Amino acid sequence: MRYDPADENRFDLVLEEGMPDFLPDDVVNEVTPWKKAMHRVLIGLALTAITLNFWGLNLILPFIGHILLLLGFRTLRCENGWFNGCYVLSIVKFSYNFSALILNATIYSSRIYDSPFTYVLSAVGVIIQFATVLFLWQGIKSVQRKAGLEEGAGGAVGLVVWYSVVCVFAIFGQVHFIVAVIIFVAYICIIRNLWKLSDEMDEAGYMIKAALIRISDLVLICIMSVILTIGLIFAYVFCGEFKMDWKPKDTSQSEQIETIKEHLISLGFPEAILEDMTDEDIISCDGALQVVVDSADYPANDGRWVEERTDTSIHSYMVFDQKELRITGIGVLLPGEREQWKIIHHFLWTIDPGFYGTESIQLWPAYETASRVGWGKASDFTGQVLYDDGDTTFVSPYYTLGEETYTSDSIFWGQNTETDVFAEFSMPRGVENHRGYISYTIKETFPGSIVDAWINYTHQQTWMQYPAMTAKEKRMSNGWNDAGAFKTIQDALQFFPYKEDPLS
Amino acid sequence: MRDSEIITLLQMRDERGMEEFLLHYGPLMRYIISPILKSGHDVEECVSETAMRVWDKIDMFDEDRGSFTTWLTAITRNTALNKARYEERHYSEEEDENSPSPEMTPEEVILKKERQRELKLAIEQLSSKDKNIFYRKYYYLQPTSKIAAELCMTERAVEGKLYRIRKKLRYLIGGEENEI
Repeated sequence: MRYDPADENRFDLVLEEGMPDFLPDDVVNEVTPWKKAMHRVLIGLALTAITLNFWGLNLILPFIGHILLLLGFRTLRCENGWFNGCYVLSIVKFSYNFSALILNATIYSSRIYDSPFTYVLSAVGVIIQFATVLFLWQGIKSVQRKAGLEEGAGGAVGLVVWYSVVCVFAIFGQVHFIVAVIIFVAYICIIRNLWKLSDEMDEAGYMIKAALIRISDLVLICIMSVILTIGLIFAYVFCGEFKMDWKPKDTSQSEQIETIKEHLISLGFPEAILEDMTDEDIISCDGALQVVVDSADYPANDGRWVEERTDTSIHSYMVFDQKELRITGIGVLLPGEREQWKIIHHFLWTIDPGFYGTESIQLWPAYETASRVGWGKASDFTGQVLYDDGDTTFVSPYYTLGEETYTSDSIFWGQNTETDVFAEFSMPRGVENHRGYISYTIKETFPGSIVDAWINYTHQQTWMQYPAMTAKEKRMSNGWNDAGAFKTIQDALQFFPYKEDPLS
Repeated sequence: MRDSEIITLLQMRDERGMEEFLLHYGPLMRYIISPILKSGHDVEECVSETAMRVWDKIDMFDEDRGSFTTWLTAITRNTALNKARYEERHYSEEEDENSPSPEMTPEEVILKKERQRELKLAIEQLSSKDKNIFYRKYYYLQPTSKIAAELCMTERAVEGKLYRIRKKLRYLIGGEENEI
């Protein structure tokens, strides 16, 4: 049978006349104005209500859920005011979720999430979630009323109750495992009921007037994906490191400082490190009696495995061809009635590690470690960071420097609340000799104690981390030295102060 | 009330069955009729006619051949098409009383059966999404805007899809041999 290709109308007529009397059941079941949109809404509700904290599903599933809610209610919005309300709420919720996804790629997210404003936003988010289900319930009832059918949407009511219970548990903290399982099972049952309701709603669903869309789902999703990608790139590029106050180093020095420096050098103080110190820190070493120096180079790379085979065994060990970070610990014995030491932890990147994001230094001061019985805190923490660009040295104070109390969670020791000294900073790329130091003074409280001062330098190795954290946040939340995008290098200055040469 | 109960009541000629039938299937019938008959009055008349046909032919419904919804969809569509053709003929007769009879000749009936068979084979090769769009257009006679809204597509996308489906069917049933 041939048809004239030019005769579209005739071909249309042929198609119409060629239609069977009865369609397959699966086709008939699919032709409804309601089912596709409602299924999107239900899947969206299911995905946004439960948080699975693994493989990034806590972020991916709610994001897909919010898109599905938005697309589902977009179709239903013209049917009645309740569904239109759901549509507006789904836009608000999606915008919030979308912004949060971009915010999570910045290092400022935790600061914003900890602010009171975020608590207000979270409360609004919960209210919106409640309102969405309530509006959905009323919207379904409205359609049933319009069709003259019996009103009822038990699943939606169940979901409202379920949300209320979850909110109560969220406010009162931890939930027993059994209760969590019961909540999960109840949730599955409610979603199943809603799905069943959706099928039962088919009768009334034929009354629904679907809204015409101007932008297809695919185009809308593509636009959102592009905006999200641009937002993430912007966040990683411009909000992935601290804004430091870099200034060229003032090279003019007073006669007093020159004299102190000369004295310190004569006691064995490394000259290069002395050049990195502030005038105030140098002056605080005036009249120094003794200098203790301990320096070591550490790798910031993953190294390589070497295998040595003998007749009887295979011996494997890690070899580091490069050791990029030099950490120098210095103790300066200060004059005075009671014994006082100025402790200086200095670091220097001798080889460019390839990437600088956020860096952090955590100190376990001598008065907090094994030697805490013998030593007390005598001064605040001071220091600065530096780099060289050609012949010019740039200097900046730390982004933050001071003691912080935090709670860490460990599978070995449970929850621990600690107070440590932290310094945060970022380094520019394309320059050299990134370095810095932190110093503080300890005073003797009990004679005969060893000086035991620790530094944990946490370096960001790559920008690839989501949600983005600063080196300090990572260090506070994860005690491992190799943790995701970060690597921590430990060094300790340990010496017995009552010897001529304490380190010998 | 469940479908099977409504069908049983209809088969028992119980008027409660008809009340329940109109309540539960009224929206579906109106949904099918609306694209075929434009006037609201005609739609309501057609719903009544369809209900009468269901009442008369309920014994012909065979569950093994398909669901009640499928059967009702076919009856509703045929009733609406007949009414539309009647209205059209009535209007034409007023204008030209010498127009040819719309009744099909035996040859035309055989040709139609042949077309249906060929088309059925070709449609089976379409994806389920394409089938949905195609049947909405040519079986349910839904306007593009309605198809687009209910399938969350733009009108332009539906038109493009229908164009490609037509082209494929034209090829499959022998209209353009060298395409696709």
